[in-house]
Amino acid sequence: MINKTVLNGRDKQIYVWQYVWQSIRGDWLKVFTEPWPIGAGAVALTITNLFMFMYARALGVFPQMAMWGSWLYNLAGLKTESPFTPYPVKPIYLDMHSMIDIGIIAGALGAALVAREFKIRKEDWRGYLWGAAGGILMGFGTVLMPPCNVGGFWVATMAFSLSGPLSAVGLLLGAYAGGSILQHQIRTALQKLDFSTAPKGEKKAAESFSHQPRWGGAIFFLTLLVAVIYYFKGMPKNAGLFLFGILFGLIIQRSRICFVAAFREILVSRDGKVMKWLLFSMAIGAMGFALLKAHGYQPEHMVFPAGWHNIVGGFIFGIGMVLAGGCGVGVLVRSGEGYTRSWVAILTAMLTSGAWVHIYGQKVGEEWLYGKPVYLPQLWGWGGALAFIYGFLLLFYLFILWVEAGKHERA
Amino acid sequence: MKELKAIKINENHFEVDMRGWMCPYPKYAVETILERLPAGGFLDLLVDCPSATKDVPDLAQKLGYDVQKVEILRDGEWKICLYK
Repeated sequence: MINKTVLNGRDKQIYVWQYVWQSIRGDWLKVFTEPWPIGAGAVALTITNLFMFMYARALGVFPQMAMWGSWLYNLAGLKTESPFTPYPVKPIYLDMHSMIDIGIIAGALGAALVAREFKIRKEDWRGYLWGAAGGILMGFGTVLMPPCNVGGFWVATMAFSLSGPLSAVGLLLGAYAGGSILQHQIRTALQKLDFSTAPKGEKKAAESFSHQPRWGGAIFFLTLLVAVIYYFKGMPKNAGLFLFGILFGLIIQRSRICFVAAFREILVSRDGKVMKWLLFSMAIGAMGFALLKAHGYQPEHMVFPAGWHNIVGGFIFGIGMVLAGGCGVGVLVRSGEGYTRSWVAILTAMLTSGAWVHIYGQKVGEEWLYGKPVYLPQLWGWGGALAFIYGFLLLFYLFILWVEAGKHERA
Repeated sequence: MKELKAIKINENHFEVDMRGWMCPYPKYAVETILERLPAGGFLDLLVDCPSATKDVPDLAQKLGYDVQKVEILRDGEWKICLYK
């Protein structure tokens, strides 16, 4: 312990600099190498999402991936249109919406490297098959629901779209079905596990040396450079949304907040911790959306067709996201962390949803399959809309408590 | 899916390698694995999913087992040391 009273002149200055340096080092290490509390992640996500909405648009990632699929078909000579009207086929690097998705992958990659959590995680062929199945189900789910877990449930509910709460019903049931499949797989894999016949082996020792954090720093530097280039090429929105994407990737990677786990664990392990935090984040976010939208700022934004297709699409998407090991945002983050199953899921999801116009003959939201977009304040005014959304969040919360209360029955 | 096997390090110390099993597989597996572990046994569970380093110790603790430590083995791989 240094006695500050006897320090004078130069020594005192050295002490101050040492203190500042050690504190910065400690704080940065804490932020970038230790996992964040999940609540901090949920609140950071909802605030970042509000800022991005003020800047341009709210978070949603799947329609862009569907566009990538259509773009690939067109490259291969098969003419098809992108299923989501607001996102027509474009070269990916010129599409400002796609910059969010690419940013999420890059942000998660950078964050995982800095924390020494990156690894190319391979699977056997069965793992890839399940990933592909998950991607295909998510691909169909996203065009039916629409669009995905984060955009169609989390943001849509905050944005006062009736489709949000309806999607939740499908997602919850789908995630339960998917979770049951995973549990069955684990039971099968554990069938022959027997400690009494275990062969002799060596203890695994830790290796400490690694250059990953430096690579992570390089990734973040490169992403900033890319943003600056976009800015000076006259595409500031591409630059801005890319940086927002990086931020989302970073937040989700560090806090390990998982929208799939939020739905899956409620019924599978009667644990609603993650969803409770998401509900809390939605309560904050809804207030922000209400303030902006009530003043006439983008009132129709993230209001999707509402109908039975929200529940059916949510159910299909829900199974898919569990099998793929991530929802729309989740597979982007996990692909950045090096999960090869997520790479397969992204590719199959792109190709499935990208073919939707070819299969259905219409775009998302058109013709017999879809209901009309229902914007709650238009239906019941702001008082009614706020009461409905907060009522829904409260009801969902009480439902989780009711499920959790049944925990003791298993013991 | 591939089978999960145990390795014996010494008399009452075992290892189950779950590297390559993404989340939530380790979380779903750990309850059964610990049930089969002989009483007084130590278990090293190897995982390579970042979320497992929190999910698995949380669940093991809730089920009444000792979580001794979680250590990083190399980039993106961890060893969760449990005691029954």
